Amino acid sequence: MQPLIPLLTTTLPALYALSVAAYGRAYADETSSGGRWGPVALRVAVLLHVIYLSARGVTEGHLPLASAYDFLSATALSLAAVYIYLELRQGVRTTGIFVLPLVFLMQVISSAYGNTVPARQPPLFPFWFELHTMTAVLGYGAFFVSAIYGVLFLLLYREIKANRLSFFFRRMPPLETLGRMNVSAASAGLVLLGLAILMGIGWARLAHVELARDPKTWLTVGAWVLLGFAVLAYHRLGWRGPRAVYASLAGFTTLLLSRVVTDLFVRSFHTWR
Amino acid sequence: MSTAAGAMTPELEFFCVGLNHETSPLEIRDALVLSDEEVGRAIRALRERAGASEALVISTCNRTEVYARGAELPNPPAFVAALLQEIKGLDLIGSGKSYLYTYREPDSIRHLFRVACGLDSQILGEPQITGQVKDSLTLAGKLGGSGPVMERLLDAALRCAKRARTETGIGRGPVSSAYAAVNLATKVLGSLADKKVLLIGAGEMAGLAACHFMEAGVAQFMVANRSKERAEKLGATIAARAISLEAIPVALPGADIVVSATSSNEPVVREAMVRNAMKIRKNRPLLFLDLAVPRDVEPQVSKLPNVFVHDLDALGQLVAQSLAQRRAEVPKVEAIIESEMARFLRWHRSLAVKPTVTAFRTHFEDIAKEELDRHRGRFRPEDHAALEALVHGIVQKLLHRPTTRLSRADDESEGIARVDAVRDLFGIGQEDSDADRDAR
Repeated sequence: MQPLIPLLTTTLPALYALSVAAYGRAYADETSSGGRWGPVALRVAVLLHVIYLSARGVTEGHLPLASAYDFLSATALSLAAVYIYLELRQGVRTTGIFVLPLVFLMQVISSAYGNTVPARQPPLFPFWFELHTMTAVLGYGAFFVSAIYGVLFLLLYREIKANRLSFFFRRMPPLETLGRMNVSAASAGLVLLGLAILMGIGWARLAHVELARDPKTWLTVGAWVLLGFAVLAYHRLGWRGPRAVYASLAGFTTLLLSRVVTDLFVRSFHTWR
Repeated sequence: MSTAAGAMTPELEFFCVGLNHETSPLEIRDALVLSDEEVGRAIRALRERAGASEALVISTCNRTEVYARGAELPNPPAFVAALLQEIKGLDLIGSGKSYLYTYREPDSIRHLFRVACGLDSQILGEPQITGQVKDSLTLAGKLGGSGPVMERLLDAALRCAKRARTETGIGRGPVSSAYAAVNLATKVLGSLADKKVLLIGAGEMAGLAACHFMEAGVAQFMVANRSKERAEKLGATIAARAISLEAIPVALPGADIVVSATSSNEPVVREAMVRNAMKIRKNRPLLFLDLAVPRDVEPQVSKLPNVFVHDLDALGQLVAQSLAQRRAEVPKVEAIIESEMARFLRWHRSLAVKPTVTAFRTHFEDIAKEELDRHRGRFRPEDHAALEALVHGIVQKLLHRPTTRLSRADDESEGIARVDAVRDLFGIGQEDSDADRDAR
């Protein structure tokens, strides 16, 4: 397993770069071959990414989430996986170019600055705490993708309202589909983050950690409630259009804020070292 | 057609004479649309009087074209003009104007491929023409006009059209205002299968838009019109409920798409009306396609959230974009046409190669047999079989390379010249040319 890690560390950014190029071509020209081999390159990249993180886990003896660079790599995988899920569900390939450059960037930073062959270390936390972290990271990725589709929705909404029927208008899927992609990704994020919150609360009780004073916990729960409301409003209240998207974007902003506050302004067990 | 390749190059002798929207006005084109029975008459005349081995007629509202192979005509356009006069009673030559164009191969083949791909259509890249070309071939087949070469040619043209549609953007985007309206609705609302359309006005434009929406999967329509009778008439064709203009505020909350095309001088749809409707429909998106001049939808309506209003200018913008996009795709389609033409011509050349290879083999085998018969008496009877095997083996070995090269001649640029050289060198002569012609 160990010799695989340096190889995959360099291969992954290259494969994501290839995917970005292919999806870029598919966006620029619907008839180009990019639309065919882009998804193939991306699926291979995601598969190798899973192998990479698994190899890291086996080598290090715990889930590879020990640093901010690891966090970036796991978020990149989450973004790519959620994107593939949405692409398969909606059959839309022209929006990949708005998600995959972020995946590429995150993986490049992680590959460039992360420790490529870490030594085996004792587990940092109990396994299911690590699972809490992993599900949370996957949830962040899903919300990130949801936010991207939210922004795309708003841009297309404005274009159509203003009768500016530009290239962007022609290349985007229907407005209704973008709204559905925004909510689908948010729903996936809601489930994953919900599980993460439950596991976190359980762990805190067992480890006697005081959550009441942890701003990250409160902000995350607040964001989850906001996002939950946005998803519920879409499904139950029939909210469509910018109002539903603004609600989900507010939830994502709160989630982002919780991360920034934790990393920059307070010290807690949630702070990445 | 005569080529540098020489006398044995297969003659396709394929010409096209016709007229289309570029060379003739609508009244001439209308007057020359041929019924199936008239197409039959034309094909018979081409075969019996012009000596064509195969003939095809494409007749649509935008073109009437006659394609013939192997016809012995000094002046094809004059013959076709006389034929059309005979069938439709329209004198195309006496009018003094030149409506007809004539193409001889390879331009006639290129033209047929361009027609099939929609490059020669009034609306660039329109898909109907491909089906019309296919129907023309089916009709020619039924009427005894088409043969193996014409069928192969039409197959190539249809394959070319299919490639053009899948490999390029020549058929993409809306090219009429009514179709642009459907396109825009799909862009906002996604699938239209479960959507309701309210048509305000029951004129030609509203009817056309309704047809396009039906094709896009819409099953529920309402028609509002000042004259209830006209609303009911249109409603009957699209299974729609007819209502009066006064009932629009009641119908509006239930509609997802409103197509308005009245001749009213005052707006028919007011802002207050839409505001109320949006409250009832819980702010679900509502799309107005205002095809009227002056506009039927009050401008303030477009300011309401989740309400989209598009007028003829916006739809015209979409149409212009699509046409520009399609024009940009023309070089890609032309490249496909050239490659398919080359493929067809290669196949056609191969028709000449096969008889030559056979004749070449027979020529050598005949010589071997003659010599064997001449010298058979000099050998013991028990050695005859071995002798025949020896001679046969030598002939086969001598012929192997040249026949292999000849068989591939249709794939190579100088192949036909090579075939001609072989025929010339070995005296494979006139009697074989006749056989070749029969084989074709």
